[in-house]
Formats: sequence, C-alpha cells, structure tokens
Amino acid sequence: MMERDIVVIGSGPAGLCAAIEAAEAGAKVLLVDENAKPGGQLFKQIHKFFGSREHSAGVRGIDIGTLLLQKAEELDIEVWLNTEACGIFDQDKVWVVRDKSTSLTIHAKRIILATGANENVVNFPGWTLPGVMGAGAAQTMINIHRVLPGRKILMIGSGNVGVIVSYQLLQAGAQVKAVVEAAPQLGGYGVHTAKVRRAGVPFYTGHTVLEAHGTDHVESAVIVKLDAAWKPIAGTEFSVDVDTICIAAGLTPAVELAFGAGCRSVNSPVLGGLVPWHDESMRTSIPSIYIAGDVSGVEEASTAMEEGRMAGLSAAHSLGYLEASRYRSRFEAINHNLLALRSGMFGQKRRDAKEAIMAARKG
Amino acid sequence: MADDDKDMFICRCEEVTLREIEQAIDEGFVTVTDIKRVTRAGMGLCQGRTCTKTIARIIAQRTGKPLEEVLPKSYRYPVRPEKLQVVENEEFNDAKDS
Amino acid sequence: MQRILDHPILGPLPEEEKVTIYVDGEPVEARKGEMIAAALMATGKPYFRKTVKRHEPRSIFCGIGRCTDCVMTVNGTPNVRTCVTAVEEGMVIETQMGFGDWGGKR
Repeated sequence: MMERDIVVIGSGPAGLCAAIEAAEAGAKVLLVDENAKPGGQLFKQIHKFFGSREHSAGVRGIDIGTLLLQKAEELDIEVWLNTEACGIFDQDKVWVVRDKSTSLTIHAKRIILATGANENVVNFPGWTLPGVMGAGAAQTMINIHRVLPGRKILMIGSGNVGVIVSYQLLQAGAQVKAVVEAAPQLGGYGVHTAKVRRAGVPFYTGHTVLEAHGTDHVESAVIVKLDAAWKPIAGTEFSVDVDTICIAAGLTPAVELAFGAGCRSVNSPVLGGLVPWHDESMRTSIPSIYIAGDVSGVEEASTAMEEGRMAGLSAAHSLGYLEASRYRSRFEAINHNLLALRSGMFGQKRRDAKEAIMAARKG
Repeated sequence: MADDDKDMFICRCEEVTLREIEQAIDEGFVTVTDIKRVTRAGMGLCQGRTCTKTIARIIAQRTGKPLEEVLPKSYRYPVRPEKLQVVENEEFNDAKDS
Repeated sequence: MQRILDHPILGPLPEEEKVTIYVDGEPVEARKGEMIAAALMATGKPYFRKTVKRHEPRSIFCGIGRCTDCVMTVNGTPNVRTCVTAVEEGMVIETQMGFGDWGGKR
C-alpha cells in the first residue's frame, strides 16, 4: 500500500494552507480533491476579504487562491485532482476513487480533513423547480462558469452569503428583485448590505417565500410577512416576477468522512450543527485525524486558512518534523491570528462557539 | 403550515413529501436514520446531503427532541456516488507508489 | 440564460476553443473544458431531467456536485453530474427521464 506522512482531503482555503504548512515543515504531503481544479470555493470569492493585513485583508479571494496555488507548486506538493475521498478505515487508511475509475487505499500517518460545508435549504412549495438553487450555486455559475443562471433574482437570506452573492449577481448583469430575510433584522456585514441597498434592491426583513410558481422553470414567487412567531400573516402576500430564487440559509459542515471514521461529535448551533470535537491544534478525538475550515465549524475563508495552517503544523509536529521551540512559536502566531479574526461583533460569537467545542468532553 | 404544503418534497432525490415524513414520525420513527429506513428519504443519489438537516429539524419540532439526538452520528462509505464495478476493483494492497 | 461577456472585476470573457456537444440530438457549441451544466445554462435549457415519481423537471441546485439534481445521461451513461463533468468534443447529452436507460444493467 502506498504511504504518505499526511493526506489532506479537500484543497479549498483550509486544505491548501494545511498542505503548505505541513510541507514547509518537511512532511511528505498528498493533497486530494474531488474537483478538476484546486481551490475549493475560493475562486468564486471575487470580493475583498476582511481582517487584518496579515490575513490578506483587502485582497480578493481569487487572488489569494492564486498565491496559495503558486506556493503549493513551489513546495512541490503532490496534488491529486478528480480524486474522491470515499472513506477512512482503521483511523489511518484513506480510500479514494480517482477519475471515477480507479479505487485505491493510501496509508496516511496523519489525515487532515478539510472537506468544507454544504449549503442549507429552505423548503416551500415549488422549491424543487428549476431556477431555485443555492446562493453558492449561483455564485459558481457567474464567477467560475461565467454564465448567468437567470436575469431576475430573488435572494432568500440577508446573511453574508446572501448579500455578497446578491451584489455579485448585480455585477454579473442580473437584476436582484428583492432580498427576503425571515429574521426581524438583517444578518450580513454592513459593507456588503449597503452596496446592495445602494443599488436599489429592496430588503424585506420579517418576510419569507411562501411558494414558487412555474411549469418547467420558476416564473414567480410569493412573499409573505411573518409574525413574531415566524408564522405567515394571511393577507400580506405579494408576488414577484422572478426566474431564479437563490437560497442563502447558511451552511452545514461536511462531516461524513469525519463521523464515518468515528470522530466524536459536538453540537454547535452557531457554527452549523454537529462538528467533530477538536482541540486548539485542530486534532479530533482520533489522534491521527485533524480537521480545518468549515468542517470544524462554519466560519470564513480567512479563519479556514489559519485553521489549515494550524492543522498542517500540528500534524507535521506530531510526526516529529518540527522542533518544540519552532512549533511553539508558530503555534502562537497562528493562534494569535485566529483570535484576531474571531473578534468584533460577529467574531466574538464564533470565538465563544469554538471555545465551547474545545471545552466539550473529548470522550 | 397549509395542507397543500404537506405535498412538497423534503427529500428531492427520492421524492419524499413532508406528509410522508410526518406520518413516519407519528408512527414512532424519530431519528433521521429511521426515517430513511422507512421512507427512503436521504437514501437517494445524494445520500441525504441535502435533506438530512431538514428532516432532523422536522423531527425535533414534532417530538421536542434535541437535534443532536435525531441527527445521524455515523455515515456509511463510500461518501460519494461510485459505481460498484469500480469499488470491486479495489487495488487495496497492490497500489504502487506513483 | 446568457454568458457574462464582460465583468467589472473579472474582465472580458477570455477566448476559448469551442467544442460541439449534442444535446437531445441538437448540436450545441460549448467552451472547451467548461462544465456541461454551464454550457446548457448558457443556451437557456430550462431543465436537465425529469424525476422518477412525479416526472417533475429539475436543473442545477448546488452547482458543486453534491446534490446530484443536475444529473443527465451522458454518452449513454445515466446519472452523470453535469455541474462537475466537463464537456468533450462530440459528447452526447440527453435529458434524463426518471432513472434513465441503463440498457438493462440497472
């Protein structure tokens, strides 16, 4: 059986940074990704990131992605694309299928799971009609594939994804007819919300989509006002003429591999639901398995990158690749960055949630 | 929720409606895994990736159980749809270092 | 729907080699290397398949290969995720009806 020091699963921001950090420490790393191109969802993030300067704040996600790929290439990291990680056995064997045709198992002394997250859905009659899609799906269509999924958009959800994708749909030339938000207040960062608002898009807080209509494709949607108990108020319905409805209702960590392997779970409603328990070094309840990025609790690409660095560093250290003092100083530096990213109005909540995960009994 | 809402699908792949899921809950199937066994919700091509959380929420709301009690804690492999023909040809011990 | 020819951040759509794919028998021009779903959405194809039970139309939903709603029959093989499968010259793509035709091998 072929063997690697560290197998990193997923080449998004977390996985790329994990592979780079581990390779820099001297570990023999294999990075696998199911897609034809590396980068995960980073290359559809055409907006500038927040954070402090050392986190590439003010730099667009796509440009960060390009830099990370260059770095991975310089370090000669082995990358397998079109490779689906299908399972983990005996805590250190990764079963992959390459090109949908070759099945093989790799012995990995350490495994870093950077599998990301899946979009949540909102159910309403008509939600299975063509034209109803995840906000992330629409973002992929416009920013990666350069195809408009529709011309008249309704966005469900005013969180960061909802407002950022709304703005990017406008940039791509679509009309955003409305943003509806079930909560009584807006959910996203002010900067992005304001940009969408300035473009003349109406925001309806305390509203939801009652149903979508159409035969072969969405033709309209009915919006309704919600009462304090989030129940639709009869008589407040109105129809909007749209061909596309985007759902931005948050993300759920993609935990199948972690839990299939037997990692202990912790419930973290703030960070998307059940996540694998992990410590500060990003190690799970299974000592050979580390996690990083959205799979460890949904945050942002910037935190995912730092968590990736932490996982890569710690996994390499556990294999004896770094002397203690070097490990310690790097560990502190990454931790410092993570704390900085988890501050402020939105960040503090995530920091508390992260600490609660780590404080949960390892079991 | 209006009665015609009950006919909307919760599981897109296997076309399982809200009504079918609620009926199964009322019959005493109160975990996502059990709902899958009796209704096929989450057993389709996407393997529950889209509907698991929704079903968990429906069960939690209807029974008062906490989400972590109804969500699946384990997953079966493969976690991606693969052809059996490919899986059968597993190069488990023969894979050469590339 | 339509291709985004010019973009304020990403600039003009780069030149790309063209390939011809066949969608339900009709030739369609696609950009080399792009995903089948992108090529079809660019033509405005309203739906990609019809479901097994209610024969409802479906199209892309997650766009990244997770939800499997965009599957079609590609070169005779049903259940191919079109959002993560690249076009190839001469590819034969069919709107999938129900489980699709497995040639008795299902």
